[in-house]
Amino acid sequence: MRQPWRLTVVGAVFLGFFAILVLRLWYLQVSSLEDSLDSAESQQLSTVTIEAPRGNIYDRNGILMAGTEAALRIVVDRKLVPEDREEELIQNLAALLDRPASDIRHLFEDRGVGARFTVGGEVSERTAMFAWEHIEGFPGLAIEPQPVRIYPLHEQAAHLIGYIGAPGEADLLRPEVTPRDRVGKFGVEGSYDRQLRGTPGTITYRVNARGQILGIVEETPPIPGGSVTTSIDLHMQTVLEAALVDGMSLSVEAGNEPVRASGVILDPSDGSVLAMASVPSYDPTLFSDGLITQAEWESLSETNALNNFAIQGNYAPASTFKVVPYTLALIRGIYPTIEQDEHPGQQDPSDPTSFFCDGTLQFPNTPLLHDWAAHGEVDIHTSLQVSCDMYYWGIALQIWENAGDLWDENLLQDWARELGFGARTGVDLPFESPGLVPDREWFQYHQVKKDGLVREEGGWAGGDVMNMTIGQGSLTATPLQMAVAYATLVNGGTFYAPRVVDEVVDIKGTVVFRNLPNIVRKVDIPDVTVDSLKEDLHGVVAGPRGTSRVAFSEFCGADVRAADCESLKQVGGKTGTAEVRVALTEEDEEVDTAWFIGVAPLDDPRFVVVIVIEEGGSGGGVAAPTARAILQYLMEESVTPIRSGGENTE
Amino acid sequence: MTALSIDLRDRRTTGRPDYVLIFAILLLSAIGLVMVFTVSAPRLEADGFSRTSAVLRQSIFVVAGIGVFIAAAAVSDRSWRLSTPYIFGFTLLLLLVVLSPLGIERQGAQRWIPLKIMDLQPSEFAKPAVIMALALILSPAEESRMSWTRIGRALALLAVPSVLIFRQPDLGTMLVFTFVAFVMLFTAGTTLRQVVTMVVIALVILVSAFQLNLLKEYQLDRLTGFLNSNSDEHALTTNYNQNQSQLAIASGGLFGRGLFNGALTNLAFVPSQSTDFVFTAVGEQLGFVGAIIVLGLYLLVVWRLLVIGVAARDRFGMLVATGVAAMFGFHVFVNIGMAVGLLPVTGLPLPLMSSGGSFFLTIAFSLGVCHAIWTRRSPVPGERRLMS
Repeated sequence: MRQPWRLTVVGAVFLGFFAILVLRLWYLQVSSLEDSLDSAESQQLSTVTIEAPRGNIYDRNGILMAGTEAALRIVVDRKLVPEDREEELIQNLAALLDRPASDIRHLFEDRGVGARFTVGGEVSERTAMFAWEHIEGFPGLAIEPQPVRIYPLHEQAAHLIGYIGAPGEADLLRPEVTPRDRVGKFGVEGSYDRQLRGTPGTITYRVNARGQILGIVEETPPIPGGSVTTSIDLHMQTVLEAALVDGMSLSVEAGNEPVRASGVILDPSDGSVLAMASVPSYDPTLFSDGLITQAEWESLSETNALNNFAIQGNYAPASTFKVVPYTLALIRGIYPTIEQDEHPGQQDPSDPTSFFCDGTLQFPNTPLLHDWAAHGEVDIHTSLQVSCDMYYWGIALQIWENAGDLWDENLLQDWARELGFGARTGVDLPFESPGLVPDREWFQYHQVKKDGLVREEGGWAGGDVMNMTIGQGSLTATPLQMAVAYATLVNGGTFYAPRVVDEVVDIKGTVVFRNLPNIVRKVDIPDVTVDSLKEDLHGVVAGPRGTSRVAFSEFCGADVRAADCESLKQVGGKTGTAEVRVALTEEDEEVDTAWFIGVAPLDDPRFVVVIVIEEGGSGGGVAAPTARAILQYLMEESVTPIRSGGENTE
Repeated sequence: MTALSIDLRDRRTTGRPDYVLIFAILLLSAIGLVMVFTVSAPRLEADGFSRTSAVLRQSIFVVAGIGVFIAAAAVSDRSWRLSTPYIFGFTLLLLLVVLSPLGIERQGAQRWIPLKIMDLQPSEFAKPAVIMALALILSPAEESRMSWTRIGRALALLAVPSVLIFRQPDLGTMLVFTFVAFVMLFTAGTTLRQVVTMVVIALVILVSAFQLNLLKEYQLDRLTGFLNSNSDEHALTTNYNQNQSQLAIASGGLFGRGLFNGALTNLAFVPSQSTDFVFTAVGEQLGFVGAIIVLGLYLLVVWRLLVIGVAARDRFGMLVATGVAAMFGFHVFVNIGMAVGLLPVTGLPLPLMSSGGSFFLTIAFSLGVCHAIWTRRSPVPGERRLMS
């Protein structure tokens, strides 16, 4: 029994070893339990943000213009993708979605480390099942119903609705926007993004070390965004867009090469935009899945299809602007006298507004000025109906010659600004252009700057005011500005800010925002002037010398004479033909932009219709028939095909 | 009179199996199977495999291990002593095969011989072979008369497999050899002076090896690479494994979180958890109480092995049982010490519980040999012949 002491020592050593282990276990498991429980628990939780479904956009009759649908999408949470398996995931996703791996790798780089993002568009149930069954090849992957923006109208009303996209720098300054969000970029989506976007929710998942989700621990559901009801009437919108396309076709038939067309239907009684369109258009769906191709993008950029020319197009308004000097002349009693001594006895002596138009004006050291036609004897009323340039040049010269004496030099400019020119109308859509009202100050500023906007020689001259009275020269306006100016004139002087959205209703049905008619200012304009204007606008479409009488001659149908057409009596309008390029030689084609602005019904105006067909030809020949079709619809006449409004019209 | 009474008692007990040892072995194996199941099933299921595939494979090893135990226990201790040189030689051959092109390399270490059913790990089989060979060399010595020559022969014998294993490299197995040899030399009767001298020499060799850069850089890399090789496919660091393991055990608390309720082990947060870190699953799911029970069972096995050593009828049996006890206890201490964050990660599996075939069969064989020694023990405990 001499040996067991050595074995006893060995046994004692092991007893010591085990005692150390027991103490350590006691320390770990019993004495410091609290801390480790928290630590162990937090490891297996992963909190993700749930995108709130974006609110719907409706027209005034409750027809859906933009909505949100749940679609199965592939979501990658890069926090859960081990770095060394990222390439494997990219390759597998490329195979699963049948897309080049470089695209997916680019997306990964784009969204950054630790981001959670969707890959590709909606996936089929089969694809989803496949991914789930082979989830070991897709670390950090989840397939979730994700809100997807849908635009059931596609290209229709696209400029009004807008689109959504990745936030820009300005968007990121907003506290509620994160780089991973998508924000409204344009149209109502852009200007009402705050109301539409809702509040995101969160879900806390239990996950294992490989990112496989085992269950939901806590869930704060997202609050969907509010629904926007617009003032748009989709029926009118449809008619407007169809008419613009037909008008462009008509223009092509007439040998022109129209670039685009835009139009507005505005309610002059409260400033509601009833319809607004710009052709060519785009499909906002292209942007909602974030998968727009380079080719699609380029083709949209080439035609500027993403721009809403109804509020962004800076056009010379041409003769449609004549209503501004016309009303000013009536209010202030400014009538032309230029070169009238050359035509003694050819005016009406009882009418101070009477004027003989021989079609040309001669100034010293200047080429002969041509009116677009020799109109003969006109007065203030017929001057508008026949669109006599000389008459308005005469008004400009009267203003010019008496400037600083009877009135300020900027008499016409101030009146134009009163009616909304040279400033944004304040419509609730982004990127509106203010247009331009030129005056001496503006002219001199740019002459000094030498930026090419004005001639280098000579000063601000009477000729510039002459140009402005006929809506040419440096004056520009957007179609919406024209609509607002006409609306203000025909409604008796109430300047309403145009508006596209009526109200926003939250998910519980409470109205959270109501866009009431907004009177910007009252423009002082006598009733007699308003009545005179309406009468002469009617003369443009129905008078014997009216520039658009041909286009409106069959307003009530081919078998009803215009004189017997009751609804035509309620229609007025004004043509405009803006010179884009003057024909210098015989072979040169003159290029014009066609305008028509219609008003109806004249007794109680509810619609102002503006049509612009850029480089489309003459206002009377092309724009007037286009507007006529829309006015037929608005006056509940049957819409007849758009045919030429005649050659040699203004 | 006295002799007669001893005779009667010993005749009654001789040949009876050690039920306590067998009970502890079976219970530990069973707990091991449950742990392997709980940590592998959720992950296998998530990956779309059968929940039971891992535990079924381990069950086959357990059944095979029981067979190996019974077979080893049936052979007499003398036959084991006589066949020791052949076993040792065969093991050396296997170790050579590993280093030949037949062996395969994983995570920077060439340690396996691929067979159809499983990959053999000869360094595991070398453990009992070395114990038996050392016992054979040391058994003729007399108590406290251990000559330096014999010690030298024992160390020289140990050096042969050590060099082969160092080439793999397998640091864990070398640590086991060192510890086992030390315990066996001590048990065999080295003097205190001899013990101290050996420790000093070992330290000098170790320090000079590092000081003189005898280890080439790639060897160091392979050693450290081995240290880190316990991570699974995540290729996470050793620290990560250990922190996770410690956290999991700590969260078990007094009574554990229950089977399949372990937040970390069941959810695959602890790497290598069915092999090197299987104790983590015990700690988290069964808590302090469960861990103590498992530790108690291991202590029971070590105690029974030392009792076998005391009861062995010759010095060979005594030394083999002590060597196996040292190997077994060392594995348990180092493995659990690693899981609770006391010791560095060395990749020593937990006997009877870690999944894996070679080591389970090795342990079963070693315990079987010890049990053969038990059933043929001396009629008078502690009294044994120098040579049979």
